[in-house]
Amino acid sequence: MTSDAGITAQGRSAMTRGSSIRTTAAAVDPMHAPRRRLFLWFVLPALLLYVVFFILPTIATIWISFHKWPGAGPMEYVGLRNYEILYYDPVFISSFINTLKIIFIVGGATFLISFALTMALREMAGRKVVRSVIFFPNILSAVVISILWGFLFQANGLVNSMLAGIGITSPPAWLNESNLFNVIMIGLVWVSTGFYTTILMAGIDRIPADLYEEAELAGANPLQRFWYVTLPLMWEIVAMAAVLWTISSIKIFEFIYAFAGGAGYLPSTKVWNTALYSYAEAFASPGTPRYGPAAASAFVMLVLVAVLVWLIRRATRREALQF
Amino acid sequence: MSSISTHTPRGQSSLPGTLRAGLERISLSRLVPVVLVWAFVAFDIFVLGWLVLSSFKTTREILEFPWSLPAALQWQNFEEAWVAGNFGVAAMNTLILSVATAGATIIIAAPAAYALSRFRVLGAEPITMFFALGIGIPAQVIVLPLYALMSAFGLVDSLSGLWVLYVATSLPFAVFFLTGFFATMPAELEEAAALDGASPFRTFWSIMLPMARSGIITLFILNLIAHWNETIFALVLLQSQEKETLPLALLKFLQQMQYNAANWGGLFAGMCIVILPILAIYFWLGSRIIEGFTLGGSK
Repeated sequence: MTSDAGITAQGRSAMTRGSSIRTTAAAVDPMHAPRRRLFLWFVLPALLLYVVFFILPTIATIWISFHKWPGAGPMEYVGLRNYEILYYDPVFISSFINTLKIIFIVGGATFLISFALTMALREMAGRKVVRSVIFFPNILSAVVISILWGFLFQANGLVNSMLAGIGITSPPAWLNESNLFNVIMIGLVWVSTGFYTTILMAGIDRIPADLYEEAELAGANPLQRFWYVTLPLMWEIVAMAAVLWTISSIKIFEFIYAFAGGAGYLPSTKVWNTALYSYAEAFASPGTPRYGPAAASAFVMLVLVAVLVWLIRRATRREALQF
Repeated sequence: MSSISTHTPRGQSSLPGTLRAGLERISLSRLVPVVLVWAFVAFDIFVLGWLVLSSFKTTREILEFPWSLPAALQWQNFEEAWVAGNFGVAAMNTLILSVATAGATIIIAAPAAYALSRFRVLGAEPITMFFALGIGIPAQVIVLPLYALMSAFGLVDSLSGLWVLYVATSLPFAVFFLTGFFATMPAELEEAAALDGASPFRTFWSIMLPMARSGIITLFILNLIAHWNETIFALVLLQSQEKETLPLALLKFLQQMQYNAANWGGLFAGMCIVILPILAIYFWLGSRIIEGFTLGGSK
């Protein structure tokens, strides 16, 4: 889920790089002319592949979303009809709500726990080992993690036998339709926490220790130290992490797809998010594939990412503190 | 948050001063996160160990005695997964596909990233940002037209077709990762090479590329892991059994348990086959992987 991660520190270096390019690029540079000729040959293959297999398909999806199309043959222009279909489809509405739940509830819980872990790890021995352990669910196949998570919550699974051990003999029916999505959300928090803890740890490491000592001398309690020292100084990293979470949480697919308590088909529509909805409408519907609504749903995802990233950047834009 | 000292009885004031100060320092707001950390670590290690142990148990043991050690090591779980579950074929496909993807991605992304970050050509910056845009586009957005495109070229159910897609969709992150990496390298070397009469290509090939080795290796591993686990494109584009990749073999094994008797032992063995190679790389190169995933080429 995380191959899109490396932007955290990169964004900053890209920004500073921009200004240095403008100031140092000079016509007198002896390396300039031959380099300009080579530029095209170096960049073109990547650019071509990227445009053909990434940008054009994105535009095509937007195009398809205004048409009726079973995946082959002629397209029929239908205007906003597909978006109307989505609006009146209770499955899409619940998928959309689930996507929002993942972004805000899972995201909120993940960030809260990650902050708590980061604060604890700041002064803990063996923090690198801890980091390695809590990070590993991120590099393993989400399908494996999902099956494993589902198995833990089976009627005779480990969670219930643990609960029985502490005297709770009538645990909730975890894998019932009404609870299933909550179990999925807890699993997503489990997987994501290690990743965001690692990012926040890197940010917190850059804060000089004497700031904390000074705050402590001034009588600040841990919560105050967090609020007045930690948060302002790592604001930039928090903002980056929030953007990352938005981008990657909307893509979440395998964990839900494989999480059906042993069923091989699609899971119950109650746990779908928009990613599953798009996939199911186009590739797993029993009748003719409905590419139109699938494309419309995909475009809704894209707009959601764009709007949220824009909002986060707006809300978190402030002067970077120098320290 | 309240500290422990507020909950303790008043008699505590008779404690020696240093001890009391020490106790006050261990406030709840400090203790809760520490407990949380170790609970997390214990849970992760437990789950992983439990998965590996369960893969050596019979299905009956797994279901009835989830906490016990295997009575005897059921190596046939692995045999069933490897042969009947098709994990052997899938592992080979996945290995070839992910290594070829990571290799080709670097061959295409490294020159582009180098030119974009070092050539001071007008347009380099917007093009870099244009590549980065792709990081925010979910696979579900592009998979529909890609499926239509691939089927028009007869590349559905083809590993080489999937390979092309994997390489193309790797580029946004790869280019962005490597531009950041090249940008931090010193300019003096390039200037010296130019003064010595080396062509820009030679400078790239024999000076800058070897110097960027560490970033390239990190990217190779990140890409390898990502495609070892890739599911969506494979699910949509691959159909026949001899071409399936590990995540598909696993999903199919899960599906077949609906019709045949549940074979949890075999399933867990299959899950181990999927994750153990990645865990081995992780044990070997853990910090590199973590820092690569979370910090990109900032170093």
